Amino acid sequence: MMRWLRDLGFRARAILFRSQMEAELREELADHLRREAERNEAAGMTPAEARRAAAVRFGGEERFREQARESWGVTAFTDLAGDVRFARRQLLKNPAFSVLAVLTLALGIGGTVALSSVVYGLLLRPLPVPDSDRVVTWWSDYNWRGSEFDHVRDVAQAYESLAAFSNEGYTLRSESGTSLVVGTVASAELFDVLDVPPLLGRTFQAGDDRPGAEPIVVLSHALWSQEFGADPEIVGRRIELGGASRTVVGVMPEGFYFPSPDLSLFVPLNLDPATRSYASNGWLVMVGRLRADVTEAQIQTDLQRVTQALGERFEYPAAWDKTRNPYVVPIREYLFGEVRPALLVLLGAVGLLLLMACVNVAALLLTKTVDRTREVAVRAALGAGRARLARQVLTESVVLGLVSGAVGVGLAIAMFDLLVASLPLQESFRETLSLDWTTLVSALALAVFAGCLVAIAPMRSLLRGDLSGVSVSDRTGGGGLREGRIQNVLVVAEVLLAVVLVTGASLLIRTVGQLQAIDVGFETDGLLTMGVLLPEEQSTEAERAAFHDLLMERAPSIPGIERVTLVNRLPLRDGGWQGPVGISDQPELQGTDRPNALYRPMAAGGFETLGAEIIEGRTIQATDGPDAPVVAVVNETFARSVWGDESALGRRFTSGFFEGEAEVVGVVRNMAVTDLVGEPPRAAYYSWDQTQRGQAGAIIVARVASGDPSAVAPALRSLVGEIDSRAAVGRIETMDDALEGKMAEALRLRFFLGLFSLLGIVLGSVGVYGVVSYSVQRRRTEFGIRMALGADPHRLLGKVLWRGLVPVVGGIVAGTVVALFASRLLAGFLFEVSPVDPVSMLSAGGVLLLVGAAASLLPALRAGSTRPATALRAE
Amino acid sequence: MPDPDTEMIRGTLDMLILKVVSLEPMHGWGICERIQQISADTLQVNQGSLYASLHRMTREGWIDSEWQVTENNRRAKYYRLTRAGERRLGLEHEHWTRLSGAVDTIMGLT
Repeated sequence: MMRWLRDLGFRARAILFRSQMEAELREELADHLRREAERNEAAGMTPAEARRAAAVRFGGEERFREQARESWGVTAFTDLAGDVRFARRQLLKNPAFSVLAVLTLALGIGGTVALSSVVYGLLLRPLPVPDSDRVVTWWSDYNWRGSEFDHVRDVAQAYESLAAFSNEGYTLRSESGTSLVVGTVASAELFDVLDVPPLLGRTFQAGDDRPGAEPIVVLSHALWSQEFGADPEIVGRRIELGGASRTVVGVMPEGFYFPSPDLSLFVPLNLDPATRSYASNGWLVMVGRLRADVTEAQIQTDLQRVTQALGERFEYPAAWDKTRNPYVVPIREYLFGEVRPALLVLLGAVGLLLLMACVNVAALLLTKTVDRTREVAVRAALGAGRARLARQVLTESVVLGLVSGAVGVGLAIAMFDLLVASLPLQESFRETLSLDWTTLVSALALAVFAGCLVAIAPMRSLLRGDLSGVSVSDRTGGGGLREGRIQNVLVVAEVLLAVVLVTGASLLIRTVGQLQAIDVGFETDGLLTMGVLLPEEQSTEAERAAFHDLLMERAPSIPGIERVTLVNRLPLRDGGWQGPVGISDQPELQGTDRPNALYRPMAAGGFETLGAEIIEGRTIQATDGPDAPVVAVVNETFARSVWGDESALGRRFTSGFFEGEAEVVGVVRNMAVTDLVGEPPRAAYYSWDQTQRGQAGAIIVARVASGDPSAVAPALRSLVGEIDSRAAVGRIETMDDALEGKMAEALRLRFFLGLFSLLGIVLGSVGVYGVVSYSVQRRRTEFGIRMALGADPHRLLGKVLWRGLVPVVGGIVAGTVVALFASRLLAGFLFEVSPVDPVSMLSAGGVLLLVGAAASLLPALRAGSTRPATALRAE
Repeated sequence: MPDPDTEMIRGTLDMLILKVVSLEPMHGWGICERIQQISADTLQVNQGSLYASLHRMTREGWIDSEWQVTENNRRAKYYRLTRAGERRLGLEHEHWTRLSGAVDTIMGLT
């Protein structure tokens, strides 16, 4: 114990009173030399001789002083301080190198850190549901009806509990006026499945979803605090929701959401077999909590049994057989499955970039180390240990890494919002993502890691190299074979990474080119869309019909508005209702083989407003009123798939959405439904008055003559209020924004990848040029000697070029092979570009080959043109 | 560059220094001289590396140092053995005896 304390005291003194200890050391050694000299003098030498002999006998004073310092046991600490100072000087001495190195590393670190925060937020962070890995959605290729849910719940055995949910918009009336909120409607079991207790009151209980139950609602924390001032007495209060009164029975805790954060309340489903919606179209998603002890095989067996029972109980048309392909999807996959591949691709790309940046900086650092061989030799001769020199290189690169890490964090903060916006995510999920202290920690870790990685190559060459022999090999100008090998490995690695990165990125960029040429089938310019809702509970069908009629009549007189229509679903943005159609002149398509078509009613003048192109026949007109014969306009896909090359005009079909038969009066060019790419599904457009008259919800689409369409939004909104004060206005959006929203994900994602690939090329070029040209330059003396001895300059040049290009070509070949495999992973992101795209692959290789050639040729040419004598004298 | 320790059997320099300063407090140069003198110039102490050893053993607590005024009013740093140093010297001596005995035994084989 005492010894330990004493040791610590000594070391503390060596750090705190270093200059005093240094002075004492100097004095002690001086005293030694003086005594030695005195003895020599006494032996008969002259004073000068005596001092010299003493110094000789003592050996290199500086070196031993260094040894003595090391014995103080604090060298690690004091050297570090010195090394950091030295590193700073070194880095400032080569600002171009340092800036380049810092920027490349910073991009890699910043990108990796920002992306990993997103990955953590979406894929790793626990969901606000306990044991969320046991919560699964129960899926077929179609959504479920209430009757099917009731049946499945009785039959399924692999789940502790099973619930059905969907979402629905409501008007919420409060002191601040009427607003539109979206909530989760779910069966009574929802909170058993989620297993989250409420903050206040209770959640759903058995029977809440059955006919005759008291109308209740559970509020999200956000809605409770925003609309009700976080009133602690809220439980038991009645609020007006969708025109009806509901009792608030509970409030959920902060941070809880299901299935997404923008749903602000929870309302029980009404599973009443007497209602039409119970057994009509499927609109529910089933979610279950698996039993804790259930195995994968048991889940599968249970699925088979349930679907079999479904098949016995219900009759399914072949077109949407729900007994096919049943599967369960973990809830996280259900929520974020779409974003995961994009995230992983980005993370992979940015990881590659970081790796490239490291290789690049390592290569630059290596040439610098070799450059400094003479300095190193001198320092070694002066007494610096080899390990000490290596440590200095390490310090230098770690300092470089740390500076880059700091810049990288800045970049991450600056890029984060743009990055998040580029992911295919709902707005409300984007808001749950942020950078936090873990970002800083991981940036620090990455910075140190990158610094160490970068130092490996130069340190190896330093530790392996014969320091005292350096000055000799330097004279002959022959770069050591081993050092050449490290450089070749670096060049190959760099070229390989660049080829992989650039190939992948250029595939995606070419996809963007194809995407931008996409035609959505109507004119998105100058269109404003606005959702309106006149709740069923508050109005009669006649009132709603009158409301819509008045809206259509008066809206065109708003200054700026040219045309206006009503639709149930927007093209480009919304999917929505579809159902089987029966083609009257194609009896073989009857029954279960009947094709499906999207149900798209629109008010008169709809196609004119949208700017859709009619290929054949006419559009929907005001004369297609409630009492006129039912008409339909079908899209190209519908017409071609059913009637082939024959004209569709005058054909008739039936559907569950209207009574009797509809006559096809026109064919319209395909409009994009939800996906920009691929052929849109069959769609049929009807007259609003014949199919949708009196419905509660609608979307107004208005075309403006010129300028920003959102300018007419306030006037349109006040018109809605004027016509009927009970009506609520929903989402307002220009069609261009909707389109941009669709494209933006793709475009921004690819913007990042494009940026990465550009950086990849730049990094690759800089690195390859640096290493190759450097190794050629180092052999200048050798060339001079060879030429002096009569070598043919052309042959010499050829040789140089060859030696410089071999590793580049090797890297390209290896990179292309890797890219061939890697690009298959990207297939899902590509559109009209094959994963094996020669243009993309060759472009990367070509650029790097040119750079390699230039890097070896330019210095070689210069070497070839210098006179041998000059080259030799340059040493 | 020759390794400083090869001039003397590795590890024995410490023991010799401890022994010398156990006789009387001594400064660095004196320790060198004394070792050479006693060994009749058989053992050459590398003068430079002596100080690394002295400082290290000071840190270990085996020896202690203090500045003393010597002839002509000059200062010299004198080292002396501590309690811990005595124990250490005993250990090293014992170890050395065992080692050299073993070597002698082997070399004495005919």
